[in-house]
Amino acid sequence: MSREILSVRGLNAAYGEAKVLFDIDMSVATGQIVACVGRNGAGKTTLLKSIAGFLKPTSGSVIADNTPLTGKKSYDIAKFGIKYIPQDKKVFFDLTVRENLELGSYATKDYNWDRVLGFFPKLQLLMGRKAGYLSGGERQMLMIARAILGSPKVLLIDEPTEGLAPGIVTQLRETFRELARSTALVIVEQNLPLVCAIADKVYAVRDGRIVAELVGPEEISVAACERYL
Amino acid sequence: MAQESYSAGCYEAMISTQLLISGVIFGLSIGSIYFLLAIGLSLCFGLMRIISLDQLLYYSLGAYITYSINLASGSMWLGVLAGTAFAGLASFAVERLIFRRIYSREPTFSMITSFGILIGGIGIIKYFWGVVPRPVEVPTLLQVTIFGTEVPVYRLIVVAIAAVVYVGIWLFLHRTIVGKAIRAAIEDVEHVEGLGINVSRLFTITFIIAGALSGLAGGLHAPLIMVDPSMGLETLAFVFMVVIIGGLGSIKGTLISALIIGQVVSLGSIIYAPMAQMAPFVIMLLVLLIKPTGLYGSTVLKR
Repeated sequence: MSREILSVRGLNAAYGEAKVLFDIDMSVATGQIVACVGRNGAGKTTLLKSIAGFLKPTSGSVIADNTPLTGKKSYDIAKFGIKYIPQDKKVFFDLTVRENLELGSYATKDYNWDRVLGFFPKLQLLMGRKAGYLSGGERQMLMIARAILGSPKVLLIDEPTEGLAPGIVTQLRETFRELARSTALVIVEQNLPLVCAIADKVYAVRDGRIVAELVGPEEISVAACERYL
Repeated sequence: MAQESYSAGCYEAMISTQLLISGVIFGLSIGSIYFLLAIGLSLCFGLMRIISLDQLLYYSLGAYITYSINLASGSMWLGVLAGTAFAGLASFAVERLIFRRIYSREPTFSMITSFGILIGGIGIIKYFWGVVPRPVEVPTLLQVTIFGTEVPVYRLIVVAIAAVVYVGIWLFLHRTIVGKAIRAAIEDVEHVEGLGINVSRLFTITFIIAGALSGLAGGLHAPLIMVDPSMGLETLAFVFMVVIIGGLGSIKGTLISALIIGQVVSLGSIIYAPMAQMAPFVIMLLVLLIKPTGLYGSTVLKR
């Protein structure tokens, strides 16, 4: 029985004077994969950043697991179990793969890497390599691996497949399905076939507003999503 | 006649070799002081993106505390320890009361603020210790002979302490999880916070380390100079050059740069005195032209 793990109500956000998000309502249940689709500049990344505490909302509320998170610092929100994986595939270049994972463990006190490396066995072979020398796909794996240490409640993933080879995208698709068994996922994604393959719910974002909510395989299709791109 | 001329030549060669060796040792010791002082400035900019000129105040405080404790107890080393601890405490107070409120501002804002703290601190030093330069006794007058040149042991101790600090800082940054978090935050503060790590705690730890090392630099430098209120201001330009040449946030770069500047200042003053003041600027200019990020500066720094 799934229950609501993340609830966003009437969320507004702005960069200085420029208002970017308008009265966003959103609901994510445990075990759900929720996708946000929309054109570039629609406000999808801002939405994730506002939930993760990197941008302070001007009004509205973010509640996770019955705990209000609005206005809390980003590291408190991450510690609570809402992890944001940005789209820039930013690993710590000067640190090795092992050190990158150690930082994930340090924050969460979860030093059991078996589960994480079970998702991404390739990382086991790259432990001593500086993260700056990894390929785009390997960096994405490392970012997700780092973020899922501590078994977060919700993963907010921004454009995870951007610029990746089709083989890696297929691998990530399976990983997301696996992850969703224990963690709710909110994914901003332009790859509509991927969205349709994995998402339980799709929010279409346009000009900072949610303009449509598609639920279930009957409503979620590439054609339906394309209307909002 | 020929034999006399030969002897005079040998004597001159010996003198110049001795000058060169003592110049190199002097350069190493002054470079070590610059390193201890610049490392804090470099870490503060690398991590917090602040230009912490107040490090020069902790340097002066370290020297003055060393002077006072040495006067009271007769132990210069106790003075250095106390100076280091006091400088660390002072930097902790400044970080909590002032810098914490301005981290999000532009670096120029922190530069002006820290310069204000430095000037204000110099006023406090003048109030407590007066304006008359104070001498600090060298803890050991022992000399060792290196290639026929008498070299003060104290200068070698200073070099050894800087080497230990370098190894210690390296081990801290590469072998401890807090150090690794600091290295990661030097690359990108936001992403470290995104993992759930309280970055402001890292800022405080870094600031205390920086202040304590500046205090250590002041304490160790005290017996080699006269301790006076403006000693921080006099060192400012050299320390700045060390940080810029080495690359902001790089410990290795700071060490190499400090050693280069130390040698340039020392050997430059032997060859042609005005060169000691001018050559470091030329080196900085050349490095910036060839590698704007400094010798070991990272290109991936982001706030």
